[in-house]
Amino acid sequence: MRTFVRKLVIALITAWVTITATFILPRLMPGNPIEQLIGKLTGRVTPEEIAAIKAQFGQGLNEPVIVQYWHYLVNLFHGDLGTSITYSPQSVSSVIFGQLWWTLGLIGTATVLSFILGTALGVYFGWTRGARTDLFIPVAGFLQSTPFYVLGTLLVMIFAFRLHWFPFEGSYDATTVSPGWNWAFIASVLRYAQLPLASIVLCSLSGWMIGMRNMMVTTMSEDFVLMAVAKGLPKRKVMWHAARNAVLPQIANLTLAIGLLVSGALIVEQVFSYQGVGGLLVNAVSNLDYPLIQGIFLVITFTVLIMSAVGDVLYVWLDPRTRTATVE
Amino acid sequence: MTTSSNPVLEVSHFNVDYGVGAAAVRAVDNVTFTLERAHVLGVAGESGSGKSTLAYGLTRLLRAPGIITGGDVHLHLGTDADARRMDLLAASEAELRAIRWKHISVVMQSALNALNPVRKIGKEFDEVLKTHNRSMSKSARKDRARELLGLVNLTPDRLERYPHELSGGQRQRVMIAMALALQPELVIMDEPTTALDVVTQREIVAELQKLRQELGFALIFITHDLSLLVELADEIMVMYAGRIVERAPALELYRGPRHPYTLGLMGSFPPLHGERKVMTGIPGSPPNLKDLPGGCAFHPRCPYAMERCTLEDPMLSPIEDGQRTVACWLHDPSVSAAVPVELRRKDAALAGEAG
Repeated sequence: MRTFVRKLVIALITAWVTITATFILPRLMPGNPIEQLIGKLTGRVTPEEIAAIKAQFGQGLNEPVIVQYWHYLVNLFHGDLGTSITYSPQSVSSVIFGQLWWTLGLIGTATVLSFILGTALGVYFGWTRGARTDLFIPVAGFLQSTPFYVLGTLLVMIFAFRLHWFPFEGSYDATTVSPGWNWAFIASVLRYAQLPLASIVLCSLSGWMIGMRNMMVTTMSEDFVLMAVAKGLPKRKVMWHAARNAVLPQIANLTLAIGLLVSGALIVEQVFSYQGVGGLLVNAVSNLDYPLIQGIFLVITFTVLIMSAVGDVLYVWLDPRTRTATVE
Repeated sequence: MTTSSNPVLEVSHFNVDYGVGAAAVRAVDNVTFTLERAHVLGVAGESGSGKSTLAYGLTRLLRAPGIITGGDVHLHLGTDADARRMDLLAASEAELRAIRWKHISVVMQSALNALNPVRKIGKEFDEVLKTHNRSMSKSARKDRARELLGLVNLTPDRLERYPHELSGGQRQRVMIAMALALQPELVIMDEPTTALDVVTQREIVAELQKLRQELGFALIFITHDLSLLVELADEIMVMYAGRIVERAPALELYRGPRHPYTLGLMGSFPPLHGERKVMTGIPGSPPNLKDLPGGCAFHPRCPYAMERCTLEDPMLSPIEDGQRTVACWLHDPSVSAAVPVELRRKDAALAGEAG
């Protein structure tokens, strides 16, 4: 219980630090969102119009920073992230959540899929180390060291442009289907997700695989694995003894990977012109959309915080040694 | 060698190498012995003498690059009517799986490493019982596990514990209880008490003695602590550089070692019982198996070395009417030199005073 409270306090402090940093960072950027917005308007802009814009979007930008900070905190506490400047009059939260599902759907699925596949392959390649299957290791190493934007672009070029097996941009066919719970839309989404999904899995799979294989090889030299053989257990049970222990560092890495999910979305979405939080962030930054930047940063931060909490719990559940010993 | 009446394990000319070709190193060299049913054989020697390699070789548990390069190992299973003799070195993986733990079980030096860290003790027991006895019910398995823990003086609540929650002694007791789970004919223990403190060592050896009288399993007990073996073993085999250098009934070996190396080993450990004595140890360090000296491998460290020891390797030969065997030129009838008094006596009260 004490451990839990300590973890909670640490999480709260982390949350406050990021919330504050999120407030400060966009304000350190050169320029000002109002000027940016006015600059975009064509024709003559009257001082009244400028005042109106300031009143609408300024959210008190001419107030002292400390007062802005206070308003920011209070609004945040009420779940109000403000109004987006770029996508006005939509609120920041509705803009973000509109895109978040795309990101979670594509990159979340890809992360989980590559983790499961990579780990399973790692168990197998670790178990058969020294056999011919070791030839896959350099291939995996190559895939792991190739940056995603190179491999992703290459795949788009080959499979979408040349072979026309997959659509090369977008998240669904906007000309024929309309978003909603209808089969045509879902089918279109699934079709458009195939290539990005396959590319991400292909790219991140090898990392999981190599990690798991190496852990497997290390664990297999442990006495308890030899003991499992000595006990006359069938092969798959011996393998399980090793794999069950070898997977622990993988779990820790998985929480890190999920934490990076939203930020990793940036490149993926650019390469495949897929919609999502990554593209939104690029837009928000280039338009100096303070509320939106803050909102996205907060979403990223809270994903990391929540995921690492989930990871901690999962790890404790999987590894009894991390539990505090009960006093007898 | 005496003809065996009721053996459980027969080993002849057993060799184990590490590596192949020119880089190969012989870790177990031409080892031959027979273990009688319900007997305890102690194997003693320094680190690198090949005693653990022998144990893992016999049970076909060697890890790469260890390779069995010769010899025969036969295990006798069952009793009287349904007795059969199994060639362990020729056995397939499936055949080995069938006899493992049921007929031969193993206890390793570090019980902490030998128990799966993420599993409760109860699950480990359950798995072993279930694998070898499919018809056993879950509650019967649990009862059996409790009973086994009782054998080694542990309370049944340990079944709900993880290995890291037990003390070193408790863990090793768990391992011993587990090794006895299926009532095997043969148990091999590789330095089971080395990682424990002296008091716990003593307790465990006493428990083992009791268990073996009750259950009647044969035991190969490997250690570098000769004085521990004297309490437990019927016979002791001393190994040096992969070979057996002396073999004798436990008490006789303790009272009167015949090989200079055995004498040195005895001077290296305080006895569990009896008066204090001066520890002497053995000069030099264990031999490099890659580059063994010519002649007797022990001669560079031997205080009694003669010219012949540097030239010819002594064979393991019977002495004293075949009661015991030793591989040392000092005891060869053709050697005229007198056997030193400390390697001649029948009842040395203090073996450690030589040196």
